[in-house]
Amino acid sequence: MSYVSVSLPQLLLSLGLMAMALAVSAQDRLGLEKDLLLGTVRAAVQLFAVGLLLTLVFRNQHPASVFGVIVVMVAVAGWTAARRIAHGPGTAVLFRYATLAVLVGGVVVLVPVFAFVIRPPLWYEARLLIPISGMILSNAMNGVALVFERVFASIHDDAPAVEQLLSLGATPKQAVERHVRAAMNAALRPTINGLLTVGLVALPGMMTGQIVSGTAPDQAVRYQLVIMYQLVAVAAVAGALAARFARRLSFSDREQLRTFADRRVG
Amino acid sequence: MPALLDARGLRKTYEGRVLLEGVDLRLERGTVTTVGGPSGGGKTTLLRILGLLAEPDGGQMLLDGTDVRTLVPHHFRRRISLVPQAPAMFPGTVLDNVRSGPRLANRDLDESTARELIVRAGLEPQFLGQDARALSGGEKLRVAVARALALRPEAWLLDEPTAALDDERATVLVRLLQELAAEGSPVLVVTHDARVLEQLTARRLELVDGQLVENAPGRKTS
Repeated sequence: MSYVSVSLPQLLLSLGLMAMALAVSAQDRLGLEKDLLLGTVRAAVQLFAVGLLLTLVFRNQHPASVFGVIVVMVAVAGWTAARRIAHGPGTAVLFRYATLAVLVGGVVVLVPVFAFVIRPPLWYEARLLIPISGMILSNAMNGVALVFERVFASIHDDAPAVEQLLSLGATPKQAVERHVRAAMNAALRPTINGLLTVGLVALPGMMTGQIVSGTAPDQAVRYQLVIMYQLVAVAAVAGALAARFARRLSFSDREQLRTFADRRVG
Repeated sequence: MPALLDARGLRKTYEGRVLLEGVDLRLERGTVTTVGGPSGGGKTTLLRILGLLAEPDGGQMLLDGTDVRTLVPHHFRRRISLVPQAPAMFPGTVLDNVRSGPRLANRDLDESTARELIVRAGLEPQFLGQDARALSGGEKLRVAVARALALRPEAWLLDEPTAALDDERATVLVRLLQELAAEGSPVLVVTHDARVLEQLTARRLELVDGQLVENAPGRKTS
């Protein structure tokens, strides 16, 4: 099998697809034209920039450049997971914890798989390390964001019951056990659903990519399975860490529920 | 003998407003104390501080002569029950709710004891199997009292406990509070309710401008 390349003029032809979406928006007055145009340009600029960066990193393969890229990924994932968390202590505080959760989850899941399962000929093989880390870290990011969002919001909404439990002598861990468990469930659910439906609804992106680029399907399947197990593990590890951080941040050292929004006084 | 709960010089400011300005309060065993005063004046905050749900900006609290800051907070809270004005119910039945306190301490509470507790709190025994979160405000309050009774606390802090109760239920609750005090627990009740003030034999205080002042006997606090 050989790789079928896409030339620039051929790529330009695909802009016709965006024209279709624009036409639908204009026809049905969805008012999405501006976002569609911006999205078309941004996607192209971002992906070409990343492509350029990856070309450079692949050409001058060096541990520092490969891990430089991964460090940036971890930081961006941490920042994204810490943003827009209502009823939390704020992005600046959460950023540290989110980054730590993403980092620990990523290391715990990636290092053994590269060391014992994939075993690349070069231990810092950019072509393998960067895209696979990207997938794993982005799942860690989603898990952490979901856990933060759910834990802080549910504790905020249920503050009277949490304080009642404290009044009955509950430890902070006991007082928010229900909220933490529900958040962990929500964080793991999408990845578990992915496991259950993979191949039945859609072929996963990486497997599709490998098949398109000429890899034999059975090899593509093996890679995909490793990735999917990694996705579940990273969501579990990073999510569990995030849940513990969120719980700790929700209470003072006197085991009092901290208020991140106004609370009744009288 | 030291007071069971002894608060000294409690201060609390919230959003620039002074709620407590050097509050001293001794809760002696076997006594009932009522606190009245204007709404929004910090009475609930005082209860929350005494129940260790909020931290004062200054002052000291002693439990049986021991500085509360040296105690593990959840151990303290097991000994002092705080019943808020609109108690939150936990998912499950009334029985589940009454069992929740002992369960947190890994103790079981048998059903017949739970039944006795809800009856003592003024609820009929058939409430035991009902969904706690579907109850009325007055019923929830009584479940919260039964829930606290299950822990056999050494002191009671209650916030407007009769606000959602009719005269008959209010009388039952007042009688229970008097009994609890007679058994030796200090009881502190934040209330404006004339029915409570008439029926309870209590030391009457008012929280005015951040200070607790003794209320002249017979004077209405509402």
